[in-house]
Amino acid sequence: MKQWLTLYKKELLEMVRNYKWIWVPLTFILIAVKEPMTLYYMPQIIDSLGGLPEGAVIELPVPSAGEALAASLSQYNTLGVLIIVLITMGVIAGERKSGVAGIILVKPVSYARFVTAKWAGVMLLIWFSYFCGYFLSWYYVGILFEFISFTDFIQSFFVYGIWLTFVLTITIFFNSFLQSPGAVGFITMGITILLSLVSSSLSHLLDWSPALLSVYTNTLIMGNGFPEELMPTILISLFMIILSLFASIAIFRKRELA
Amino acid sequence: MPVVSINGLKKRFQDQEVIKGLDFQLTEGKCVALLGANGAGKTTTLKMLSGLMKPDSGTIVFEGAEKGDFRSLIGYLPQYPVFYDWMTGREFLEYTGKLAGLSNKEAKGRAQELLELVGIADAKNRRIGKYSGGMKQRLGIAQAIIHRPKLVMLDEPVSALDPFGRREVLELMEKLKKETTILFSTHILNDAEEVCDEILFLHNGKLVEAGTMSQLKDKHQQAKIDLVFKENTSRYSEELSVLYPVTSIKINGEKASLFVEDVEGAKKLFLTEITSRNLPLIKFEISRTSLEDVFMKVVQK
Amino acid sequence: MEILEGINWAILAPIVIIQLILMVVAIFDLVRIEKTDGPKWVWALVILFINLLGPIMYFIFGRRSY
Repeated sequence: MKQWLTLYKKELLEMVRNYKWIWVPLTFILIAVKEPMTLYYMPQIIDSLGGLPEGAVIELPVPSAGEALAASLSQYNTLGVLIIVLITMGVIAGERKSGVAGIILVKPVSYARFVTAKWAGVMLLIWFSYFCGYFLSWYYVGILFEFISFTDFIQSFFVYGIWLTFVLTITIFFNSFLQSPGAVGFITMGITILLSLVSSSLSHLLDWSPALLSVYTNTLIMGNGFPEELMPTILISLFMIILSLFASIAIFRKRELA
Repeated sequence: MPVVSINGLKKRFQDQEVIKGLDFQLTEGKCVALLGANGAGKTTTLKMLSGLMKPDSGTIVFEGAEKGDFRSLIGYLPQYPVFYDWMTGREFLEYTGKLAGLSNKEAKGRAQELLELVGIADAKNRRIGKYSGGMKQRLGIAQAIIHRPKLVMLDEPVSALDPFGRREVLELMEKLKKETTILFSTHILNDAEEVCDEILFLHNGKLVEAGTMSQLKDKHQQAKIDLVFKENTSRYSEELSVLYPVTSIKINGEKASLFVEDVEGAKKLFLTEITSRNLPLIKFEISRTSLEDVFMKVVQK
Repeated sequence: MEILEGINWAILAPIVIIQLILMVVAIFDLVRIEKTDGPKWVWALVILFINLLGPIMYFIFGRRSY
């Protein structure tokens, strides 16, 4: 435990020194808050772009509060996921590529602690950033549209957070055996996109796929309650997260490190 | 008492066998040089001994290792050490110390002690990114010994340094010698001779020579007599070599080298013969082969 | 300019401030850092002139991490 804390504190300190504690939360806030605002000011924006041609009448339906908040999450599904992959892809691979792992791992460092400390470090950063962004988005939606119940907000926060955790863990998994951060990023992004596409087009077959967590979260936000597929999907996702974490450790232990 | 015993160590990369079966032991308290030309397999050997690389076959047995994990017993400095540039020297040492199992307090004390020992105490609160090559090398040595390992392995610790830095690191190794067993690789015989008691001579993935300095000197520092005649050097030299037990004869253009066991006896005999036959002698020189010659001979084979 | 009157600046201000902080931190780091991946002046332009994405791109791709 003591060694794990040493490793974990190093991760947190590193994220202070390279400003991740500043820019990642701010970016997550911007990504999320932009959406309700754009939706709210859409009529003015269209106006400022020269307005509509004479005589054209476009009914802009006023979006519901749920739709506005869901729009934030859909931004996380693209930009948010991309940022998570980009900042996680070098967490282990980068240290091996640079050679610093050659000094650290000849010390009696447990491989399991090494991998999990890295995982936990990114987890804290991402969950913190995600909370800041999503919470502010919820608040803005409340001010601009109407407040969504806090329970729905918290529930959707945790459910969608599982999907982000899944993406993060998969990135760590590929870190355990690929030495190039670029390759880790590329493969993880590919798998995430593929999983989302396949799951949404074959949703009747794969309705327990982690990629569908975002769909179920939307249902929650819209105030339609828990879909019945949600519970098994959460369990399967958690199971897969734990499995990939164990697999990462097992593979990492077997790899030659230099 | 051996600190580590290596038996039948082999390693191949793709279709090339880099280490072709190594057997040796390292005795406690000794400073051993792993000598060899570039590509002889020194780095690969050290990486296997540090646990970073896994041998294809053979065993590495450390005295007192628990469950095959011998990492707490060793300290290792890679050939091109890389650190976290965003840490300060002090932070890095404390970090590696704690990873090796020291308590916070021990790690702090030991870090300070080593910063002074290796001579970078002034720069301890500077980011490693701003360190010079020599400072990084010294920081690397400090992190290797922070947990007082039984065996310290240094991969080419002085090769990349300028003469000044090299001197400092060699002197540092002299100090370390008193505390622990050292195995360090080098391609420079001089460095090996300077700090070490024993040499392991690696060539093409095999151990070609091993032993203490004095053993190797006795074995290889053969006396030789160089002869140059005005003409027919080779013929005269061969005629002379019949008179006395010569271990080998080497003719190199106008010069002949006769290797002998007993210089004094050979000298008398040869000189008498040369004067009595009035051979046209130009040069008669007695010398000894150095380890350098041995080294060159093996490497050029 | 009447469109601007319809906008509640108290709502928009935080966004502008966040963008500004990102830009300032990125520039601050760029000045202090020893080396970047790619020439520094290009990163300066990217940070200053590419709205929102500039600083983030710098943090992800411009900093050498080790």
